[in-house]
Amino acid sequence: MTLEWVHPGLLLILGAWVLPFLKGGSKRAAMLLLPAAAVVVCVYSGTVLSPDNYGKISFLGQQLVFGRVDALSLVFSYVFSAMSLVGMIYALHVDDDAQHVAALTYAGGALGVTFAGDFLSLYVFWELMAISSVFLVWLRRDATAVAAGFRYLLVHVFGGLVLLAGIVLYANAHGGSLTFDNLGDSQHSLAWTLILVAFLVNAAAPPLGAWLPDAYPNATVSGAVFLSAFTTKSAIYVLIRGFPGTEVLVWLGAGMALYGMVYAVLENDARRVLAYDIISQLGYMICGIGIGTQMALNGATAHAFAHIFYKALLFMSAGAVLQVTGRRKLSEMGGLYKTMPITMGLCLVGALSISAVPLFSGFVSKSMVVSATGDLDWQASLAHRNIVFLLLTVAASGTFLHTGLRLPYFMFFGEDAGLPAREPARNMLVAMGVAATACVLIGVAYPLLYWNLPHQPVDYHPYTAAHITSSLGLLAFTGLGFCLLRKQLKPQPGMCVDTDWVYRRLADPCLRVLRGPLTRFEFGFVGQIYEYVIRGPVLGVARWLCRFDSRVVDNTAMGAGRWTQMVSGKLSTLVSGNAQHYGLIMAAGVLTLIVLAMFAR
Amino acid sequence: MTDYPILTLMTFLPLAGAVLILLLGGAERAREIALAVSLATLVVSAPLYWNFDKTQSGLQFVETAEWIPGWDIAYAMGVDGISLPFVLLAAMLSVLCVMVSWSSVRERVPQFFALLLLAETAMIGLFAAANLFLFFIFWELMVVPMFLLIGVWGGPARIKSAVKFLLFTLAGSVLMLVGILGLYSTCGTLDFRALAQFASQTGLDHGLQNWLFVCFLAAFAVKVPMFPLHTWLPDAHTEAPTAGSVILAGILLKMGAYGFLRVVFPVLPNAVLVFQDTMLVLSVVAIVYGAYVTVVQTDVKRLIAYSSVSHMGFVTLGLFTLNTHGVEGAVLQMINHGIISGALFLCVGMIYERTHTRAIQDYGGVARCAPVYATFLTLFCLAAAGFPGLNSFVGELLIIAGAFQNQFWLGALAIWGVVLGTIYMFWLYYRVVMGETNPRLEGLSLEINAREIAILAPLAFLAVYLGLQPGCVLSYLHETVGALVHVFAAAGATP
Repeated sequence: MTLEWVHPGLLLILGAWVLPFLKGGSKRAAMLLLPAAAVVVCVYSGTVLSPDNYGKISFLGQQLVFGRVDALSLVFSYVFSAMSLVGMIYALHVDDDAQHVAALTYAGGALGVTFAGDFLSLYVFWELMAISSVFLVWLRRDATAVAAGFRYLLVHVFGGLVLLAGIVLYANAHGGSLTFDNLGDSQHSLAWTLILVAFLVNAAAPPLGAWLPDAYPNATVSGAVFLSAFTTKSAIYVLIRGFPGTEVLVWLGAGMALYGMVYAVLENDARRVLAYDIISQLGYMICGIGIGTQMALNGATAHAFAHIFYKALLFMSAGAVLQVTGRRKLSEMGGLYKTMPITMGLCLVGALSISAVPLFSGFVSKSMVVSATGDLDWQASLAHRNIVFLLLTVAASGTFLHTGLRLPYFMFFGEDAGLPAREPARNMLVAMGVAATACVLIGVAYPLLYWNLPHQPVDYHPYTAAHITSSLGLLAFTGLGFCLLRKQLKPQPGMCVDTDWVYRRLADPCLRVLRGPLTRFEFGFVGQIYEYVIRGPVLGVARWLCRFDSRVVDNTAMGAGRWTQMVSGKLSTLVSGNAQHYGLIMAAGVLTLIVLAMFAR
Repeated sequence: MTDYPILTLMTFLPLAGAVLILLLGGAERAREIALAVSLATLVVSAPLYWNFDKTQSGLQFVETAEWIPGWDIAYAMGVDGISLPFVLLAAMLSVLCVMVSWSSVRERVPQFFALLLLAETAMIGLFAAANLFLFFIFWELMVVPMFLLIGVWGGPARIKSAVKFLLFTLAGSVLMLVGILGLYSTCGTLDFRALAQFASQTGLDHGLQNWLFVCFLAAFAVKVPMFPLHTWLPDAHTEAPTAGSVILAGILLKMGAYGFLRVVFPVLPNAVLVFQDTMLVLSVVAIVYGAYVTVVQTDVKRLIAYSSVSHMGFVTLGLFTLNTHGVEGAVLQMINHGIISGALFLCVGMIYERTHTRAIQDYGGVARCAPVYATFLTLFCLAAAGFPGLNSFVGELLIIAGAFQNQFWLGALAIWGVVLGTIYMFWLYYRVVMGETNPRLEGLSLEINAREIAILAPLAFLAVYLGLQPGCVLSYLHETVGALVHVFAAAGATP
């Protein structure tokens, strides 16, 4: 590895192992210094170094590139390293070394994926992310978390192996080349499909994305903050890199935006709302990647950048409430504005950002993707373009509904649940403050973000009169709808456990349809996908084969042994010690030989 | 440094140690002598590593002496790029076996360590043998200590398992003897180099090759073990003492695959091409079938034993792809599997010594009461599941790449095998290490001591080092495998 470039990911991964050996203040200092150093290295790479491939290593006759520094990898490295710093501030008070090591390794893995210039190093960090992130779930250390983490791990390992198969096939078809770049030239080949599927598993595209709402709400309080930032957004990064302009992604993304929105509206667990909302926001980015024009890719990048901060901010707020009150469900909260005013204020910043309110970060990033739908130039483009535009707009309205209004309303306002609460630890508030500042900064000083987008110059201006009025109009109508439907949108306590109770209580027939078949589909099928697709068949086949192994395969060999034993037992009775018997046998033998000799002629 | 007969010394030093132990007796002295001798063997092997010429494909460090002149059979030892890593692995694992048996073996201690050293002689001798006669002698010699180690120091059902092991192995070796006699009567020599030369210049009759292939296959397939001859393995592993399991998994299983490389590939190339498809199918069946059966095992040792069936399926799959990637990957994977399954059996043995149970359901939450142990186990489980950056990944990657080159569906099924492999490995890990501490483990001190850390540390180092620097093994293999595969390409050209 060349000396002029230090891998920020390796810095975190290796540096993490210092933490268990430190105590007290020096440990906290190290927890902050490591990600801070990663930020410095990333900024240094972007400002001082020229874009090039650094960290080249020869391995098995292949040239591995651990440090591809270019505009796209840089912008993702900024947000990943900054997020690891915010996350560590938030986790500063947590007295659990394993969590910190896992979190830093996980963040380092995301940076490794970002800077990987070839498939093999990409795969290494990809798997490292999967393995380290599962500990952020497992370390919650209760039975549901352990089980959810296990399912999470299986999905990601499966995705990783699909990726490996795709990589091997790709290398075979390209004369052993492992360079990771736009895969458009081998479109629709098997390798292309496998790699795309593997990336989409991490991007939580339904139905491969059931792991996300399953695992994230079960993670530790600070673990969920890290989880919300890295896995899906690194998947977005590799999709931008490898699959820009892939038509199927437009529809998939638009569908995801709507899908995540619908289930977020129906959900009751605060962190599950946010988890479904991640899927919805990823939909915008994937849609942008599918459109594939420069503006769309810039939009996807910008939205990923903005999303990481506001979603982390929301997860931090929900985590703070969870930690202070011990309640996960929105239906059990309410009235916390009195006891947790700072948390409430910061949470609102996140809510306004995600809802794309002017002056907040979502406003300058989400609309870029939505506007880019105008660039769509496929066959029969007008109708398609309008459908995609409509889907994204509906989802935007829904986002404001469930995360912008419903989540903070039922968490902090609404009926006072009378929970004893206080503000969370100071470091948590500081972390939330930093993230909130980033949200506002991006929204106001948006050129700072635009200058760093991969495709320059950025010819997009968010603060036009038309854009502001149209978004305010959309928000106003959604807000009006929320006020009217507030009762119907009230979170239902039994929602995600069993739907039976819900049916009888619901007034709104429209919501009944949503909550009936759709909820059943999601929680009865997609949520159970592991049961039907992985656990059931694997264990069923395994049990059957295990019986086969002991009854047939083993018994054949053992039966041969028993048969030999039986025959030799019978033969041994011939050895009677009686000379007459021996004589008889000899005579019979000689006679047989004579007969054989006669007939053989 | 190399003016002494290094291979002969390595082979017979343990034997001398075994004799010494039996003569002197005494439990404490037996342990010390065994450790000293096995360490000395490892030290003696060092020049092999330094002085090996990686640019040569043939045998090196050759030692010959006249033995049975009437039959033209000589005493000949030598190693090439394929056998050298195994000689070193056998020497290293023997030291670890002595160390892990330090306190766990309490009965007939001198005899136990003497047998362990005898097994070391057989292992090193087998990989260093330069003719088929010597190969066969060590092949058979290996059965004796293994049979006794399982049958005397094993678990409750040890007699049944030991006899099963013996019968399976002997059935195979009888046919191998027939094959050896057949080769000898045709070629007039048993020297590996002379045989290979005969095969490449004169060539054996194709029909005869097929028959000989079947004879050798019987012996090698039992040892690997290939489906459907694998059922002795779980029983033997489950009942064997820890050191026995380590030798079984680490070395004995590799003897069969090594036999393919050493005897079958160079001498019977046409038969290999005839049987290639059959062998590939059997390998893939072993991978997938073995993995499925592994998933539902409830006994830790049985689970690892069945996983060996699946992993050795990868090895034979790689071998019979007959391309450079596949064969190099297979040899590398043999080394990797020797390290990892050896390490896993050591881990199981260490905790069994404290809990006296092998049922997975009796474990849980080990991470809390034994963090150091859990860390090692995490590493080895990750390595067994083929995590990138650790050793098995490179081997599996090469094998899968080779399989895809051969036929697409082979690679696809191999990937499926890796998926299942990850499932059973992590499920095992999850049930043993994660979650709440099992009440049955309360009050036991599970954490491993310094001696046990010293046993696991070198294997952990190798798992990481070979994962990051597989070149240090592959560089030895390269020329030898190249020559082997080249022979094949030549034989394949003439139908």
